[in-house]
Amino acid sequence: MRARAGGRRSFRTWLEARLNLTEIASFLSVFGLLPAELDTRKPLREALDEALSQPLPSHARWPRILGILSFILFLVLSVSGMMLSFYYQPTASEAYGSVTSIARDVTAGTLVNQVHHWAATLLLLILAARIIRFYFGGMYGRSREVIWMLAMLTFTVATFADLTGRLLPWDARGYWTTVRAREVTDALPIVGPVFSFVVGGPGLDSLVLTRFYVLHIIVLPLVLLVLFYLHFSSARRVGLSAGAAPPSNRSLRVTLYDLLLVIVFLIGALVTLAILLPQPFDTAADPFTTPPGSRPPWYLLGPHALLESFPPLVPRFLRGAFLEALFAAVLFLPFLDRRSGERPGRRPMAIALGIVALLLWAVLIWKGWHLEASR
Amino acid sequence: MNGPEKTALERRGALIWLIRGFLSLWAFGAGVLGLSFLRAPSSERRPGERQLRCGSFSSLAVGEARLVRAGAEPVFVVRVSEAQITAVSAVCTHLRCVLKWDRDKGTIQCPCHDGAFDRTGNVLSGPPKKPLPQYPAEIRADEIIVHT
Amino acid sequence: MKAAWIVLPALLATASVAAAAEPASPAAPRGVGGMCGVCHSEVRVQFEQGIHRSEGIACTTCHGGDPTATTVEGAHRGGFRGAPRRRDIPALCASCHADVARMRPYNLPSDQFALYQTSQHGQRLAKGDPNVAVCTDCHGVHEIRRRDDPNSRVFPRNIPSTCARCHGDAALMKKYGRADNPYADYAAGVHGIAFLKNGSDAAPECTRCHGSHGATPPGLGDVEKVCGQCHATTRQYFLEGPHKKAMDAAGLQECATCHHHHHTPPASVEMLDRVCLQCHAADSAQQKLAATMKTMFTEAAQEIDRAHRLVEEAGRIPLYVEDYKARLEDARTSLMESFPVMHALNPSRVEPHTRRARSIALEVSSEIHAKLAGRFWHKVGLGVFWFYLLLTAAILVRARRRAAAEGQR
Repeated sequence: MRARAGGRRSFRTWLEARLNLTEIASFLSVFGLLPAELDTRKPLREALDEALSQPLPSHARWPRILGILSFILFLVLSVSGMMLSFYYQPTASEAYGSVTSIARDVTAGTLVNQVHHWAATLLLLILAARIIRFYFGGMYGRSREVIWMLAMLTFTVATFADLTGRLLPWDARGYWTTVRAREVTDALPIVGPVFSFVVGGPGLDSLVLTRFYVLHIIVLPLVLLVLFYLHFSSARRVGLSAGAAPPSNRSLRVTLYDLLLVIVFLIGALVTLAILLPQPFDTAADPFTTPPGSRPPWYLLGPHALLESFPPLVPRFLRGAFLEALFAAVLFLPFLDRRSGERPGRRPMAIALGIVALLLWAVLIWKGWHLEASR
Repeated sequence: MNGPEKTALERRGALIWLIRGFLSLWAFGAGVLGLSFLRAPSSERRPGERQLRCGSFSSLAVGEARLVRAGAEPVFVVRVSEAQITAVSAVCTHLRCVLKWDRDKGTIQCPCHDGAFDRTGNVLSGPPKKPLPQYPAEIRADEIIVHT
Repeated sequence: MKAAWIVLPALLATASVAAAAEPASPAAPRGVGGMCGVCHSEVRVQFEQGIHRSEGIACTTCHGGDPTATTVEGAHRGGFRGAPRRRDIPALCASCHADVARMRPYNLPSDQFALYQTSQHGQRLAKGDPNVAVCTDCHGVHEIRRRDDPNSRVFPRNIPSTCARCHGDAALMKKYGRADNPYADYAAGVHGIAFLKNGSDAAPECTRCHGSHGATPPGLGDVEKVCGQCHATTRQYFLEGPHKKAMDAAGLQECATCHHHHHTPPASVEMLDRVCLQCHAADSAQQKLAATMKTMFTEAAQEIDRAHRLVEEAGRIPLYVEDYKARLEDARTSLMESFPVMHALNPSRVEPHTRRARSIALEVSSEIHAKLAGRFWHKVGLGVFWFYLLLTAAILVRARRRAAAEGQR
């Protein structure tokens, strides 16, 4: 036994002489999976031992798991998406057939498909929850402006990734959801034309589908990856909460076990959702029949309702400009609200404003949902 | 090291191996799932490959038709001449009854409302308005293949 | 003729212009209308759109007179007949259209006049009824178009509206003791909806059942023959059943007794509840027979519905259901086939069809149930998965606790 262990060690030293394993392992810490920095000059074992015995940095302490959860979900989406792309065919004539074939004829195809769907849904929810938590926790004050903006951008890019994914099955629901969603994006003054230019026109045909596909599987995931990296990098530099964290006696090793537990339960939740609450399949998209009750996806229901609640005299691009101004105001919030670094109790105005904004958002989503039912 | 301590250590070592074996089942499960996902479905069920194998060409006499029940819609394969075949849907365009081949007249008859179609699917008489959809058919090594 | 006097200067002016333009043949009647069109310009416009113009038929062929004359008196002389009286019109048209030799090059039938004389219209006209339709009522007076001209009143699509010009007129129909409105009834019935609303050329318009020139309501024993032109299978079963003899004996209009001749409702199995009671008592053996057939049909139909819902449900999961869909189509065909068979009024002949439909549907249902039960094992698998997952979590929690204890030390 000892001999084998020694043999293993010698293989590691053999490899270590040729590859900087510590540097490779430090990729884990780049994306927050290992909440410590490895000393890349030391051999892996030594660097790990050193890191694992370190006290926990403040940004990795419970309950700061939303960031890491979102990245794990991103990994789940990457793996399941890659598996789906083995079968998916991004043309208008074959897309629906290939997706139904994945779900029907491929072993575990439904599972992979549904896990992909639920991971995307959870990712958006967690990214939204993270923004809300940052706001109410006052975690966007001095030196943390970039983290706030990155959280906002990550959510926005993730919604676009979700939007482009909805069209891919080319089923009636996905098709008409996309049509309604583009109604909202087209109202935005600069973003709308740019988006339309990138996806290849205002219609939805095979070319547009291919572009949605490329955006969904290559471009937007890469952008998300960069944003995640920047986010964790910034979190390591400034920490998340205001003020110095009290020194913790809990070691990193314990945190790693916590992380593993989180991953295990996340996978459990995803598989359970995929099996018990599968998203039912719709019929193939028919560009000539709009099914009743087709709406933009939930994250665009608020903007949709806002666009529609202007008096009819206001031109559509002005409404879009107002939406963009709102988005810009939230994006640059750290520069507008200079007292943000303080504890919740010390800034009642901001908390009240946040609650009002959340309620308004909920009302707009409710209204956006009922806009279609009333017609 | 005396006896009982050693057995305790051994038991502990065994437990650790048990746990490692148990945890490696995750990797095993993920591997099985991944591989079974990668196993491509049989050729008939691949998207874009909706080809119907309609039996041998030589066994179909000239002027005869064969009803092929497969997939979503049954199909009639008619041997029009020595070398030519046509394939039309065998579902009436009126009320979706499954049609029958009338050998004497060489037409396709609907048993429900007496609609009649010719062998290329055009309406001859009766209530149907639309002709039967026609499918491209080809012969590969004496086997009739219909692309539906 | 007052009007003619007023336009006389205009006529002279036009004539002089025409003479100046065509100095070579000043007196020859140019065009088929000759000089008639100078005064009767509206009629001329109508006539030139019709088929007769291109076949060299002139105004004088029907009206007589002198087409070369340049005065009103001169034109209306020389065998001038004026507007023919209504009762003379059929014979006038027949002077050419009953002539086999003249009709042959156009491949037109020459028996229309003979047919017309046998029709209700023709017979009433012979008795001096001025209201009935003559040739011009359907074909137009001067603007007589080809049958395949979509603007023609006798173009197949336009026939119902052409007949409705009289038969949709309630006041006129009342004179003949008819309280119903055939056109409105037809438009509300299954044939009218198919023809007028859905544009089906396979659905009958008026003449498919009544004939055109020989238009007559089908006689009592002939209704099944008329309907049987299209509903051949149904007719065959009807003739095999007991109704044909009984209905003829009772003076009932075969098909129309149950299905109504113009206002034909879409055939449905629910009709068996109503129509039999018109003649048979509610507790009679015949009504029981109808109820039996209805039960057979509805049981099969319900079974198909149930199987259809299951197929849809399984398709949404999605499972591979294309084969089941094809088999359900087969079941529906059998169910549809039972409709004509019911007219033989023999449940034992209906039964094979409904039984086949029902058994296919049951088979499909049970196979899909078996497939859906496979999903039960998914849930069992999920349970096993969670057991495994919780065990892993327990191991991790234990390891974590040990790591925490080591950290404390």
